[in-house]
Amino acid sequence: MKSIRRPIAMLVLMALASLAALAIACGGGNKAENPTATPSGAQATATPRPGTQTAGSADRTPSKVAPELQQTSTPSAGSGNAKQGGVLRRLWADPPTLDPHQVSDTTSASIVVEIFSGLVRLNNDLKLEPDLAESYTTSGGGTVYEFKLRPDLKFSDGTPVTAADFKWSMERAAHPDTESTVAELYLGDIVGVNEIVKGKGAVTDAKGIEVVDARTLRITIDAPKPYFLAKLTYPTAYVASRKNVEQGGADWTRKPVGTGAFRLEEYRVGERLVLARNDNYWGRKALLDRVNFNLAGGVSMAMYENDEIDITGVGLLDIDRVKDPREPLNKQLVTVPPGFSVSYIGFNTAKPPFDDINFRKALNYAVDKQLIASEVFGGLVQPAYGVLPPGFPGYSGAVDGLNFNSDLAKEYLQKSKYSDAASRPRIVITVPGTGGSPTLDIEVVTDMWEQTLGVKAEIQQVEWATYLQDLNRRRLQAFGGLGWEADYPDPQDFIDILFHSTSNANHGAYSNSEIDKIVESARTEADPQKRFELYKTAELKIVEDAPWVPMWFDTEGYALVKPWVKGYRFTPLIVPKLKDVWIDK
Amino acid sequence: MLVYMVRRLIWTPFLLLAVSLFVFVLGRYGPGDPIEVRLGQHYTPEAAARLRAQFGLDDPMPVQYARYVWHALKGDFGDSYRYQGKTVSSLLGPKMWISAQLFFAAMVITLTFGVPIGFFAALRQGSWVDPAIVGSTLVLYALPVFIVAPALIVIFALWLGLVPTSGWDGFFDKRIILPALTIGLPGIAVFARLMRASTLDVIGQDFIRTARAKGLRERVVNYRHIARNALIPVLTILGFSLAGMLGGALITELIFGIPGVASFSLDAIFQRDYPVVTALALIGAGSLVIANLIVDILYAVVDPRIKYS
Repeated sequence: MKSIRRPIAMLVLMALASLAALAIACGGGNKAENPTATPSGAQATATPRPGTQTAGSADRTPSKVAPELQQTSTPSAGSGNAKQGGVLRRLWADPPTLDPHQVSDTTSASIVVEIFSGLVRLNNDLKLEPDLAESYTTSGGGTVYEFKLRPDLKFSDGTPVTAADFKWSMERAAHPDTESTVAELYLGDIVGVNEIVKGKGAVTDAKGIEVVDARTLRITIDAPKPYFLAKLTYPTAYVASRKNVEQGGADWTRKPVGTGAFRLEEYRVGERLVLARNDNYWGRKALLDRVNFNLAGGVSMAMYENDEIDITGVGLLDIDRVKDPREPLNKQLVTVPPGFSVSYIGFNTAKPPFDDINFRKALNYAVDKQLIASEVFGGLVQPAYGVLPPGFPGYSGAVDGLNFNSDLAKEYLQKSKYSDAASRPRIVITVPGTGGSPTLDIEVVTDMWEQTLGVKAEIQQVEWATYLQDLNRRRLQAFGGLGWEADYPDPQDFIDILFHSTSNANHGAYSNSEIDKIVESARTEADPQKRFELYKTAELKIVEDAPWVPMWFDTEGYALVKPWVKGYRFTPLIVPKLKDVWIDK
Repeated sequence: MLVYMVRRLIWTPFLLLAVSLFVFVLGRYGPGDPIEVRLGQHYTPEAAARLRAQFGLDDPMPVQYARYVWHALKGDFGDSYRYQGKTVSSLLGPKMWISAQLFFAAMVITLTFGVPIGFFAALRQGSWVDPAIVGSTLVLYALPVFIVAPALIVIFALWLGLVPTSGWDGFFDKRIILPALTIGLPGIAVFARLMRASTLDVIGQDFIRTARAKGLRERVVNYRHIARNALIPVLTILGFSLAGMLGGALITELIFGIPGVASFSLDAIFQRDYPVVTALALIGAGSLVIANLIVDILYAVVDPRIKYS
C-alpha cells in the first residue's frame, strides 16, 4: 500500500510549509487595526502567532481590546455638513462569532457592537452613556439598578424591544449552552447569574434580573460595585431577539436581528461582510449606507494605496515613508491612541529563586528599560514602571517603580539568599511564539541581568496553546511576552484581577494579604476618588514587591485614513462608532 | 475496470479511519488545549471545566473518537471550536473551493508549459535548444517559493503594475495569475525534465523506427506514437507531485493573501480547533487517494496496453 505513507508525508510537508510560511509572514504586512506595529517582543501577547498579518485585525489576541487610538484631525459628524450616503471600506478578518453573547475577541466585537447594543455604552471619549436605556437609578446602597428603556424601541426587523428581551438575553448569555467564555466576567455580579452559569443547564432564571414592566428592568448585584455598569457596555449584556435566536437555530447569526445602528446585510465567509443602515435604530440613523468589510485578505498598505480600502494601519516598513512631508500620503496620516495594555515579565513567587523579594527587586533594578525602548524598539514602546496604563481610569502617574540602578540591583542581590551563583537554581523564562521569532527585548533583559548581576537566565520559546496551558497551571518559573489588556475601563480590571491572591490571572502566585485587603475594600468603595486612592496604594506596594518586571505600555501608533472619510475616531477600547462616520466625495 | 476501481476504493475508508485516529490521538495527547486558547486571559479552572463538558472533551478518549466517527459517517464533521456555531463543512467548503481553483490554475500552467517544453527539448536533442531548456528549467526548479513569490510581486505588481499585489476575486480575476505561477513554475521544471527523459526513452525504441520505416509522416510519429507513450510515466508522477505542490500552495496562499485553506488550517492548528484539523487531514488523505485513482484510470486511457481486471 504505497498510498499509506503519503498522508503522513503530506502532514510533514504541511508542517514544513507552515514553518517556512511563518518565517515569511513575519517579514512584512501591516495589521489593519493595530497600527502601532509594536516590535515582536512587546507584541507577543497581542500576536502570539505571526500567522497572517495581512488579515483585518488583532484577532489573535486572547482578549478583546482593540488597540485603536484617537484620530486628531478628522472633524466630527456633528459638524453640520455631514451628509448621508456612501460606503466605508475596510480590510478585516472573519469574525469568530457574530453572537453578542459569545463574543470575546476584538475582531468579532468591533462588528457586533455595530449590529447589537445594550442598556449603556461607552462613547468615543470612553465615558459611560445611556444607550437603549434612557435613564437609570440606583438604590439599595448601590446594589439595585433600575433601567428605564427608551420608548418605542425596535429591533431591526421592526419588532418591539421590551425589558423581557433583556432578561431573556442576559440569561441566555449565562446559559452553559451558549458557551460564552466571559459571561461570569461581565454578568457574574448579578444575583443568580453564576447559578445559571454553573447550573449545567438546569437553571435558567436569574432572580437578580427582574422585569418590572415592559419598559423597566431591575438588576440586583451581589455587592455595591461601582465598576458594574461599565461591564454592561460589553456585548455579553446586549439584547438579542428571542424569536430570531430560537427560529434561527445554531446558526442564527446568519440573519441576526439587533438594535445597533447597522444591520448585517451580507456575510460570505472568507470573502466579505456588509453592514447596512438599520432604519429601525432608535437614535439618529447611521450616515453611511454601507460598510464593506473585505475578508479576503491582502496587504493592507498596498490595498490602501490602490484605493481598495479607506483605512489602514501603518507598519514599521512604511512608517518612515509616510512620515516624510513630501510624501502625498503624509496628509492622510493620523495618530492612533495607545491601547490599554501592559506587558510584563512575570515571576512565579512560589518557585525559587523568585520566592525571594530581594532577588526579584535586584532583577528589576538591573533592567534599563529606557535603553531597550530606544535602542531595540526605536521608541515604539513606552517603558512601564507601574501596572495601570497611562490614560486609564485610576492612572495617577505617581507610580514610577524600580528604575534602572545597577548599584541598588547589586545591593539587593547581596541581600538575597541567592547571592551566590552556586546556590541559585537554573532560571528559565518561557515566552510564547512560533517559528523562532526573536523576543529581542527579553534577550536584552537577560543580557542585562548577566552583565549587571552575573545572573544567567535561559529563554525558552513555546507555542501559544502550550504556553497558556503551563501558565494557567502555574508551571512556569518565569514568563515573558505576556500582557494584560483592559476588559472594561476600571482599575479593578488590572490591580484586583492580576494581583489578588485568589485570582486566576495571578499567574505568578503572588500573595500579599495586605494587597488582598485593599483591593477587596476598593471593590465596594462608593466614592470614586477614594477607590482610585486605594488602587494607587495597592499599585505602589505591588511594584515594591516586584512580582513582575513591568515592561511596556502601548504607544501612539499611526494609521492612514482617506480624506473623504469623515468622523472616524480611533479609540483605545471597542465602542460603536460607525454611525457617525460619513463619506465626503 | 469497474471491479478494479471498487477494489481500490474499498481500502479508502480504512485508510481514512487510520488517518483520523492518528490526528485525533495526536491532538488530544499533544500539549495545548482548545478551551484554554479560547478563554485566553479569562481562564478559570471552573470555566474551562464547564466548556470542556459542553464540547464533550471531558469524556474518555475512545468515547470521543467513537462519537466522532459515528457523526462523520453521517456526514457531520462537527462544529468548529473557534468559529462558534459553524459546522466544519460550512467553514471549509468555501476555503477548499478557493484553494482548488488556484491549484487547478497552477496545474494548467504546469502541464501546458511543462509537457510541451520537455517534448520539444527531446526532439531537439543534440542541438543547443535542448541544454538551454534543461538548464533554464533547472533554475526554475531550484527557486524556492519564498524567492519566486516576492520576485513576481516586485516585477509584475510593483514595477510593471500589471496586477495587484494580493487578494482574491475568483478564478477569472487577474489576481490569480501570480499565485498560480508561483505554484506552477517549479512544476514546469519537473514535468519538462520528466517528459524529456521519457520522450528520449520512447524515441530510441524499435516501434518508433518501425513507424518511421513504414513511411508515416513525422507529425504522426511524433504525436501518436512518441508523445502518447512518453506521457505514461508523466502521469505517474502527476499523482505523486500533487502532495509536493500542495505544500508550495499553502505557502503561496499565505504570501498572496488568498483566503484558502492555508491560513485557515494554520490558525486551526494553533487554536487546537480539533474538528477542523481532523477534517483537513481527512480531506488531504482522501484527495490523494482519489488523485492516484484518477491517474490509474488515465493510464488505461492513454495506453491501450494497460487493462485492469
